[in-house]
Amino acid sequence: MTELLTIEEASDALRSGQVTSIDLTESSLSRIEAVDERVGAFIAVNDSARIQAQRADVELTAKMDRGPLHGIPFGLKDILATSDQPTTANSLVLDTAWGDGYDSVVTERVRNAGAIIMGKLVMSEFAIGTPDSEKPFPIPRNPWDLERSPAGSSSGTGIAISTGMVLGGIGTDTGGSVRSPASWNGHTGLKVTFGRVPKWGCVPLGYSLDSIGPMARSAWDCGAILNVIAGYDSRDITASREPTVDYLDGIKDGISGLRIGIPVPYFFDHPEVATDQRVAVEKVIQQLEALGANARQVELPHSDIAKEANTITMLSEAFAYHHPDMGSARWSEYGRNTRMTIGSASLFAASDYVQAQRFRSWYTREAAKLMNEVDVLVTPTHPTTATLSAEMGDPLRRPKQPSFTGPFNLLGYPALALPAGFSSSGLPFSAQIIGAPFSEALLLRAGYAYQQTTDWHLRVPPIVTAGENNADN
Amino acid sequence: MSHPDDTENTVRTFLEAAGIPASTDEFEMFVAMYPDLRAAADKLYNEKWRYEEPVLQFTPLAPLRNSRGNLELNSEG
Repeated sequence: MTELLTIEEASDALRSGQVTSIDLTESSLSRIEAVDERVGAFIAVNDSARIQAQRADVELTAKMDRGPLHGIPFGLKDILATSDQPTTANSLVLDTAWGDGYDSVVTERVRNAGAIIMGKLVMSEFAIGTPDSEKPFPIPRNPWDLERSPAGSSSGTGIAISTGMVLGGIGTDTGGSVRSPASWNGHTGLKVTFGRVPKWGCVPLGYSLDSIGPMARSAWDCGAILNVIAGYDSRDITASREPTVDYLDGIKDGISGLRIGIPVPYFFDHPEVATDQRVAVEKVIQQLEALGANARQVELPHSDIAKEANTITMLSEAFAYHHPDMGSARWSEYGRNTRMTIGSASLFAASDYVQAQRFRSWYTREAAKLMNEVDVLVTPTHPTTATLSAEMGDPLRRPKQPSFTGPFNLLGYPALALPAGFSSSGLPFSAQIIGAPFSEALLLRAGYAYQQTTDWHLRVPPIVTAGENNADN
Repeated sequence: MSHPDDTENTVRTFLEAAGIPASTDEFEMFVAMYPDLRAAADKLYNEKWRYEEPVLQFTPLAPLRNSRGNLELNSEG
């Protein structure tokens, strides 16, 4: 059986001399060569990957150790400015001069940590559209079933991690764009507290909702990435000055006494929730209880309206950014789904946006009351496993679908998506663990504890196994 | 329930005000989307949060803080 290394394993192997960064990078490049044409994860592979790896090997040999990401093949969603590659946001519309010649805060931090930046990864256009075959970008496909969607918007990051083309990467999350790809591609993803990771140098979607977060196979790996990217930077007006912690310190301390809230209304009893997904998440809760947690049913009231408030906020803020291009001849340069979705915000009134922020005040207070009673909430990350790609592009579909991720963007809370098993057709299930603001370390500790008892996060899509078997022949 | 012509007129007005050059089929799609979008927004108007202050933050001093978070009111001096 093919196994893909976690960052934790690769980092140990680098330091014990079992492997070099060049070995890891060549392995990543081989996987890109073998599978990327079929799954569409990369917009552009970085020509300098081997040079970066050689430098990392020299430094590690000289004991110039930059930490767990040093020498690790890594991917960036093509929404982050990179000084050595263009940034497109997967769109023909983004000014080609945007991001030219400089690094975003996150790029700079990942680069300084010694990660090997393998390239820029496919995403939903401007972090909201769906793949459009009329535009000159790769069509991302779910590696567990090529007919199905890898979700978005950080689709390329999700695919690249799932298939081992990179060991870790960066996504952004405004309504679920880190957690949904983690969910449908079968790995771990952390949506951070609003303001935890500076956004300067990242193309915006929803100014008051956007977050940049780690995506990787395991909770430990996400903690290692968060250690690098978290922390204040004055260039982002929304960046938090709340002190960071070491997100790996205490990750192995267990979850004895952890108070879990199970918000059954909406998150479990919505008619769109598939029975197998719900049962899988209930098994996760049982496993967490077996590890010492205490679970009980709770309610986070009006979460259905929170989904609407998040959507109206996101689309209105996005439309403000895109209006100069959308209200012009450039309208048709956007993908059809992108322009129909963002353009739909023109049908809201300004008072609707303000009313969403008034609801947000109320909902935030209700959530705070609830989080005084429990430490975390556990829900399905998404109502179902991956849906067919052909069903994803219908703009009439979005308003009818529940969202179990968007309410926590509205709250600004951190949330961890972690693999929770597989359906009878071989598609990943996913559970979401949500905590109070700046409780990322607690969420990672819970995820780590769970992942010591399961291997769902280590499973490898058949497309990788088949590719390597062919290569062996 | 509003008359279909009302919905078309409303959507046309909003799109024209925004300067969106929607094609005929896109206009029809917006018209089809509008009832759900309006219903989603209408859910936000509820007595429970009738007197809430919105989550809108404005910090007049923010642009004047330096990278260490200190005020720089006399940047020329």
